Amino acid sequence: MPRPEQNFISFEIDGREVRAPEGMSLVDAAKNGDVEIPVFCYEPKLGQAVGACRMCLVEIEGSPQLEIACKTPVEDGMVVVTTSDSVKQAQNAIVEFLLINHPLDCPVCDKGGECPLQDITFGWGPGRSRFIEPKRHFEKPLELSPLIAIDRERCILCYRCVRFSGEVAEDYQLVFLERADSTYVGTHQGHPYVAPFSGNIIDLCPVGALTSNAYRFRARPWDVENGGSVCTLCPSQCNVTFTVRDDAKVLRVFARDNAKVDDGWLCDRGRFGFQAVHAPERITRPMLREGGALHEVSWERALSEAAGGLERAGAGTAALVGGETTNEEGFLLQRLMREGLGSPHLDSRPGGALDPEQARALGRPELAAMVPDIDYADAVVVVDTDLQDESPILDLRVRKAIRRFAVKVVLVGGRPGALDPPADAIVRTTPDGGEAALGALAAALAEVEPVSVPPSDRRVPRDPAQTPTGGLDERQHGEPERQGESAGRERVDDLARRAGTSAEAVRNAAAALRAAGPTVVLWGERLSDGPRGRQGVAALLALARALEIPETEGSGLIEIPSGTNARGLREAGCLPGLGPGLLDAPQAGRPAAEIAAGLGEDLSALVLLNADPLRTHPDRAGWKRALEATTFVVAFADFESETVAEHADVVFPAESYAEREGTVTHADGRLQRVRQSIAHPGEVRPVWSVLAELGARLGAPADPPFLTSPMVTRAITEAVPFLAGLTLEELSGKGKRWQERDAAEAAPEAPSLPQADELEEPPEPVAPSNGDLRLGTTRSLWAGRETEHAPILRFLAPHQRVELSPQDGRALGVESGDEVEVSRNGSSVRGIAALRDALPPRSVYLIEGTAQDSATELLDGESTTVTVRRVEAE
Amino acid sequence: MTETNLRLLKDIDEPGLHTIDVYERRGGYSALRRAVTELEPDEVLEQISEAELLGRGGAAFAMGMKAGFVPKGDTDNYMLVNADESEPGAFKDRVLMQKTPHLLIEGCLIAARAIDAVQAIIYIRGEYEHQADILERAVAEAYERGYVGKDILGTGWDLEFVVHRGAGAYIAGEEMALLDSLEGKRAHPRMKPPYPANVGGGVYQGPTLVNNVETLCNVPYIINFGVEEYRKLGTEQSTGTKVVSVSGNVRRPGNYEVPMGVTCREIIYGLAGGPPEGREVKCFLPGGSSSPALTGDEGLDLRFDFETLEAAGSMLGSGSVIVVDDSQPLVPFALRLAEFYRHESCGKCVPCREGTNWTVKMLERIDSGEATPMDFELLAQVQTNIIGNCLCLLGDSMAMAVGSMLEKFRDEFERHAEEARARNEAALVEQSAPELAAAPSIGPM
Ligand SMILES: Cc1cc2nc3c(=O)[nH]c(=O)nc-3n(C[C@H](O)[C@H](O)[C@H](O)COP(=O)(O)O)c2cc1C
Ligand code: SF4
Ligand code: SF4
Ligand code: FES
Repeated sequence: MPRPEQNFISFEIDGREVRAPEGMSLVDAAKNGDVEIPVFCYEPKLGQAVGACRMCLVEIEGSPQLEIACKTPVEDGMVVVTTSDSVKQAQNAIVEFLLINHPLDCPVCDKGGECPLQDITFGWGPGRSRFIEPKRHFEKPLELSPLIAIDRERCILCYRCVRFSGEVAEDYQLVFLERADSTYVGTHQGHPYVAPFSGNIIDLCPVGALTSNAYRFRARPWDVENGGSVCTLCPSQCNVTFTVRDDAKVLRVFARDNAKVDDGWLCDRGRFGFQAVHAPERITRPMLREGGALHEVSWERALSEAAGGLERAGAGTAALVGGETTNEEGFLLQRLMREGLGSPHLDSRPGGALDPEQARALGRPELAAMVPDIDYADAVVVVDTDLQDESPILDLRVRKAIRRFAVKVVLVGGRPGALDPPADAIVRTTPDGGEAALGALAAALAEVEPVSVPPSDRRVPRDPAQTPTGGLDERQHGEPERQGESAGRERVDDLARRAGTSAEAVRNAAAALRAAGPTVVLWGERLSDGPRGRQGVAALLALARALEIPETEGSGLIEIPSGTNARGLREAGCLPGLGPGLLDAPQAGRPAAEIAAGLGEDLSALVLLNADPLRTHPDRAGWKRALEATTFVVAFADFESETVAEHADVVFPAESYAEREGTVTHADGRLQRVRQSIAHPGEVRPVWSVLAELGARLGAPADPPFLTSPMVTRAITEAVPFLAGLTLEELSGKGKRWQERDAAEAAPEAPSLPQADELEEPPEPVAPSNGDLRLGTTRSLWAGRETEHAPILRFLAPHQRVELSPQDGRALGVESGDEVEVSRNGSSVRGIAALRDALPPRSVYLIEGTAQDSATELLDGESTTVTVRRVEAE
Repeated sequence: MTETNLRLLKDIDEPGLHTIDVYERRGGYSALRRAVTELEPDEVLEQISEAELLGRGGAAFAMGMKAGFVPKGDTDNYMLVNADESEPGAFKDRVLMQKTPHLLIEGCLIAARAIDAVQAIIYIRGEYEHQADILERAVAEAYERGYVGKDILGTGWDLEFVVHRGAGAYIAGEEMALLDSLEGKRAHPRMKPPYPANVGGGVYQGPTLVNNVETLCNVPYIINFGVEEYRKLGTEQSTGTKVVSVSGNVRRPGNYEVPMGVTCREIIYGLAGGPPEGREVKCFLPGGSSSPALTGDEGLDLRFDFETLEAAGSMLGSGSVIVVDDSQPLVPFALRLAEFYRHESCGKCVPCREGTNWTVKMLERIDSGEATPMDFELLAQVQTNIIGNCLCLLGDSMAMAVGSMLEKFRDEFERHAEEARARNEAALVEQSAPELAAAPSIGPM
């Protein structure tokens, strides 16, 4: 849907002349005149107004009776009154009606003090009740889920939670049961409401009917403070508010609405994962390995041991940077490595190298979409990622785009995911078929169209000044190439076969995209992983070219990375060959897999900055060997993972995201501030300061020395040309996309995008032999440290789940629920089988990053097949 | 005595009228034939408009105008028959569907033709199982004869016809709730706009014309005999006839078809025989349980048409007359009505959900003698606070009926409460101090 134009009109409210965009809900438009119209059910984030609560009744000239403001679009010349006797009587009446069955147990209610029902009662209610009948009673409180308690007596049946479940999360679990005054909120058959986004209903509830089990009875609004920050637990980077007590304890996390990032939603990992911050098992003091075991030591001891060990290894040091690392920390680390130790070997990507030219191409502003582009695109292509698990808030965004703006969705990937049901076209591939599928799609887009469709007039050309200087040719879209038509067709057929999909599926997808104007491509980092990562990215860039992304306003790519701050770390200089600003580093370094291979050979020390290779990197066995062979390991870590416990020599306590100060960069280029909300527990020090200190000790002192995190930020803006002049003030509140600043002109140039027919030929799909299956991996929202260390989330920690097609299940004698063993080359993991109809035969999918039996055991970066067998019950 | 059963119910006692053979023999489907073979859809629409046929489902909206709102061209339009008849006192649609289902089907087809619909749907109240069976059979017959289906009467017009059984809620008869119910959701009224006739507003988002059973049963007559003939009965504004369901304290309850504009007295006394010997009409609800009550004195000589009853502060509504004679206490009657609405409120909007509940609780106390003197005023104010503030008209319906009874018979309500209280006291005294109860008289305490 095209971006709606805003046409300002003026109308009168309570005698004031007010301007507002035409068609805006009267409730919102009234705010422009400082008039507050009370509402309960109205919440534009939930879609169309439902008109249930009737709290917003107002007088509109020319209307015989009162009208609800929430569903009334403002019109030019409208005259509205909100203060007349009849409006007041109606407001009093509604509040009185709402309260007659409300328990008024405010003194023991979590919502007390921040409750819309209290506020509206005071502001617009009659002041006293005339109701003397017995109130309605329900059993209270009940567990709606292990995360949420429901108190049905307090519920005012405003529809918000039910609408959220049905119309935003689309999990359809929460419903109204019974009717009339016996209506209550519940689930089908009383199942617990467990869903990735369930916690949002706590924020939405205008009364204390839905409360967080993590927060219930922990505090009152007047003894806490709220501080804004960013959730860095996943790449969605939702804006959050921490509710903090005594500057020391996070009690709650709730959404801080940023329409450009999160639409005001959070996933449950982000909402409840904060409990891990206060987990007793957290590392809060420096530690040193002595006599084979880790012991707490003083900071000075740890620092000097670390500095000594690293100095000894010098250029033989390598570093891995975890995805939650801030730009500042990443910048300081690459400085320490390159300038202090003289080593170029650092990598923030677990899965494989990214070609420097491609990194620059992907960084180009004209290829970047921003999150709100999803709403107004004609089509969204999702490649090799399940958004719900890997960037959950974007899953909601795409759903919203489909539901509200009729955006078309094309899925490309091997594993059926949460967006399958509403998708318009699905190109289902083998686990590694992404490269070939994108090549096929790009080639199919150039095919002659069966019926000639005029070029979409929805393609608004970008500002010519912004189009890339790279030599894109001038071929017009919709003007098909006549030559080599049949060769092109054969190519599509061949590529589709190599992708393990049908040419028909590819052409269907191409047809959907050809007719579309602005298109946003959301692509999973795994496309760029492994030995064919470079070709995967090339295919992606060719698709971008075929879709005319650089020339089309509102089109673009958004990466779904494996780590929260992947883009920021890349731009701050944490890739092996790239220094700050995506500029070539003086010396090319080795990517993670080669670092593993070099450890024990010419590499002897390893710095792990919030990184845990045994958990997140492919080839666990290889990493185990590498860590054992490493002489000296320095880890910045928050928990004693296997990596830390068995291999670290010096451990620096890592900060939690509630303690950090710094910036992160969203995949769409938005720099956002992570703000410190609580004091550091124990002896935790700011990681940036530790890195600065190590830098100073190891030959990379700063002048003047880094005394504060903002000083590091400033150093980044000086080192990265396209961030030049950026200030933290600019980032306040909602952050800022660097592409929208003047300095974006300094983004490094990239070669022109490849054409579909210039792509290398992808390999034949691996042919599984004697009953083996192709291995694919997926991430789970719930496979992560938070799920293990936040007590309330523990029930969600996933066991390994082995997804098979029913055909393969039959062939292997495996049924859903059976325990199976998946093995390859002597490594094996166990899991519970799940037969999924939509899964293509001869593929098997496992979760990466489970605490035990992680799929990373089986990976070594190559396309692989595995043997699956049923484990007989002992 | 007033002539009755002139048009819709004319052949109602004809054996086998529900079969297509008998219906055709009686001239059935000639209007459809004329509408599809001789008239353009616009001409059909024009005739309905000129007849000024007003909706019989309660809101008295001009059918022609509503049909005119349905866009024609590239939308899939739907014809939806509201056969959810669930209002206390209303049973006119039932007799029409049971006895002359083809009349409804024919009217529905003509209307579908006028709006160029692709599908016609009858949403019938779930409890009307017998009538639904009859309708289903009738629709099958109409398919067989080529009145429904592909290439109707050789004109190339296709229309599918579905009988959909409701799931048992009064609110499902409210057209916006009906749409949701039909689509498989809870019957909660959707918000207007968009109206059903608008793009995006109707069934499956398609523009939809929603009409009551009786409204549609008028259509074949208009096409057969012309607008002028149609308007010969009825008043200038309320054209044609009305099937009236008369119930309550009358000797001959039942359905009577009368020309619009006869007096209420003719209906209640003339046709339905009036209350039993020796009793008078205390009040009556002229338009079903949702209409404000009229006292016998003020109402009996009013003309029974939309405009007169509205001017008198009540309404013709669905045209179901509920008669209360002077032997009936009003408080239990009002309580029974309120209980119905409390039970049937969908619960979506606050004033209806909470207001019906509160009203029932107050009426219970008044009925059982536990009222306080303030309760009558409070009860009245609660009704005022409901009216005009709800999402649909269900809440208002109760408030108007209960509110009007309270207003017009306030002294009876107060007396009722007082008498009940005295009875309670007497019972209490008898229980705790039988010797006092036996004493000749004790004054009020
Ligand atoms: C609570 C409520 C219940 C209703 N029930 C019915 C019904 O059972 N049958 C009906 O025809 N109209 C019913 N209506 C009226 C419909 O909303 C609608 O006005 C009518 O079906 C339109 O048809 P008409 O124009 O032919 O009268 C009801 C309205 C309300 C508010
Ligand atoms: S539980 Fe809360 S959000 Fe849900 S309907 Fe009740 S008051 Fe509204
Ligand atoms: S008035 Fe009653 S029936 Fe109508 S929407 Fe409101 S609660 Fe539902
Ligand atoms: S806010 Fe308008 S009806 Fe609830």
